[in-house]
Amino acid sequence: MTLKIIVMMKQVPDAEEIFIDPVTYTLNRTAARGVINIPDENALEIALQIKDKVGAEVTVISMGPPQAEEAIIECMGRGADRGILITDRAFAAADTYATSLTLAATIDKIGKYDIILAGESTTDSGTGHVGPGVAEFLDIDQVTYAESAEVVDDKIRVKRILEDADEVVEVPFPVLVTVLTGANIPRRATLRRKIDAIKKGIERWDHETLGLPPDWIGIRGSPTIVGAVKVPEEKKRASKKISLEQIPEMIDELFEKGIIKREDGA
Amino acid sequence: MMSEFDVIVVGGGPAGTSAAIRLAQNKVNVLLVDRADPPGSKNVSGGVLWGNDLGKIIPDWEKIIPVERLITRKGTTFLTKDSAISLDFSSRKFLTNRTGYSVLRVKMDLALAKKAKEEGAMVIGGVTVDSVARKDGKIIGIEQDGDTITSDTVILAEGANPRVAIDSGLRKPIGDRDVAIGVKQIYKIPEDKINERFNLSGNEGFAGEYVLGYLPDGVEAGGFLYTNKNTLSVGVVVSPSHLRNYGQMHSYDIMEEFVQHPSIARLVEGGRLEEYSAHLVVEGGLSSVPKLYGDGYMIAGDAAGFSFSNGLVIQGMNYAIASGIAAADTFIEAKEKGNYTAKALSDYQKKLEESYVLKDLRTFKGIENSTWSSMAHRTIPDILERFLFRLNLEDGLPKKHILELLLRSVSESGHNKTSLALEAYRMMRRM
Amino acid sequence: MEIEEKLGVLNYKTDKSYAHITIDPVICETCPDRFCTFACPAHCYTVIDNKINFKYEDCVECGTCFFACSHGSVKWTNPKGGHGIKYKYG
Repeated sequence: MTLKIIVMMKQVPDAEEIFIDPVTYTLNRTAARGVINIPDENALEIALQIKDKVGAEVTVISMGPPQAEEAIIECMGRGADRGILITDRAFAAADTYATSLTLAATIDKIGKYDIILAGESTTDSGTGHVGPGVAEFLDIDQVTYAESAEVVDDKIRVKRILEDADEVVEVPFPVLVTVLTGANIPRRATLRRKIDAIKKGIERWDHETLGLPPDWIGIRGSPTIVGAVKVPEEKKRASKKISLEQIPEMIDELFEKGIIKREDGA
Repeated sequence: MMSEFDVIVVGGGPAGTSAAIRLAQNKVNVLLVDRADPPGSKNVSGGVLWGNDLGKIIPDWEKIIPVERLITRKGTTFLTKDSAISLDFSSRKFLTNRTGYSVLRVKMDLALAKKAKEEGAMVIGGVTVDSVARKDGKIIGIEQDGDTITSDTVILAEGANPRVAIDSGLRKPIGDRDVAIGVKQIYKIPEDKINERFNLSGNEGFAGEYVLGYLPDGVEAGGFLYTNKNTLSVGVVVSPSHLRNYGQMHSYDIMEEFVQHPSIARLVEGGRLEEYSAHLVVEGGLSSVPKLYGDGYMIAGDAAGFSFSNGLVIQGMNYAIASGIAAADTFIEAKEKGNYTAKALSDYQKKLEESYVLKDLRTFKGIENSTWSSMAHRTIPDILERFLFRLNLEDGLPKKHILELLLRSVSESGHNKTSLALEAYRMMRRM
Repeated sequence: MEIEEKLGVLNYKTDKSYAHITIDPVICETCPDRFCTFACPAHCYTVIDNKINFKYEDCVECGTCFFACSHGSVKWTNPKGGHGIKYKYG
């Protein structure tokens, strides 16, 4: 039996092209072009490494507007076998809950799978919710913060990078793994594969294909309410050049201004 | 054996996309490959698109291609250290005889690539073609990462630094005489401020060319300043041979000095730098045009050395579009006979000879010697500055006739009147 | 404005696995003109301790250095896979 791998990929605005509006202080993404979310590239690369080693059928799924097709074609150009774009106006403004549910429904419809790979978080929202959310909806095991992974017999062996340690875990299929940014150097697409991908085409699924009621998806299926977005006030900083002799003077000044305090609080 | 594609076009600039659009419109199975992702995002021009060549393949191109401003005001300026001497031509005639639009290439070329896709071409970005594929001396397609993709004909439209054509031996490597170094900066400035600064209204635009007469002896460069909707394109074009032989100057410093020149600084003032770019500018004239076709291939646009510059007018994109369309038409005719040999594709050369593309290159053969000359870059600005300063200076002394002032400015500049007149005459003839 | 600051506004997709331009340090060592350092508009060629230092990461892919070097030190190829400079305006 061929191993079945699903990679969840999102097309995000190029982080290099997002800027903070000098007037409103909000993120201006209108000028930014779409790119593959960076850790998703790393997740795809792990999938393709497994495919190279033990053989696998790799399916890339993405939820987004029609132009996300280009990102899927790029993934197929790198070696993915199948691409599915979940696209529907009814999915618009979904939060991470509704997104996870939609992706889980997509994977459920695909049917048989052994490994699901995803980037640890997206560069355009950075919650890190969606990978674990999908695993919860599917009720399968999950491994987060992966740097590398390989298939050993009917298990996946994952190296996790934690704050104070590296951890290697082995988990049986089916399993969802989220991959860290920069975990590897993604391979390049080839012209041959890109031509074949365009000839083969991608599949487009909407909420009817998935059999999801409108109340469960998009903004209606999203319990998250964004109260307000605030830009933290910039702390005032100052610098001053002083000579060695002036240090005691400066320390006195810092006490005076209350910037530093004595240990006893005096 | 059947080829996978009828035509593979290498390069997503104006030449490549025009060829692909024309081919796709004629039901030719065409693949357009650009190494940038998205296609066109490595392309740079000054950029004013002159002429109406796109009208041949996209009748309503002025609506479909994101043009910035319609050029209604054209400036030619000699800059010296202290002065700016301009010939400023603005005319309402350009409103009806639309002849030039400022454009931003990344936006324009992406729109052209999209148009090619709509017409049925397969468009792929983000893949670098390694070389052409050969069999029995004929070109049968391209090579990429070990794979051969076959086509009856390859159109090489890679631009001013054509790696595939050079590495495949289809054109000689670029030299000092073939190109100039173009450096460009984009400044963001509000639309109304641009209109105010350049005396424009609505979508009227200004295109200025500059001779940088203030540079150290021997270093020669031209400048340009074009208005876009809410940005300015400002740049310099540096002669590499002069920089090599006389210059101890960095190309990027020539750019910086240009925007710091008092006459330019006030025009870009307050603008936020949005982009810095550099690109080769094809300047070699007829002598740097390679063999344009062979068994299974044609070369178009900058890669073929097609451009025009006489110092007052710089053009390239229109030559690229015209040559791309000519290459496409040649293929369409060749396809009817099923013959893609050099003999069948020689019609490409014939088409270009009949069009302005090669006619202009022949008419202006050797012009690069006039545009890059100390006559244009030192002598003329120097004499004009002396003359106009004297003419306009009120120093309480009795006035002189204009001709006398002019002759005095010439002799002060240290030039012999007769030899100068002769040289100027020769230069004018070439221009 | 300094050149480094100008390059700072650009969007590069650096290919960590492939340097599309390489130089031959042996040729550069004895180079009489070092014209690359004047010609390159992106300040990729600098002299450090009398040696040519080259960084491909800042390259804007104009092709100048390829013909600027008349000593055969510069090996110029296109970046692969959409890597390298990504202009917004062009």
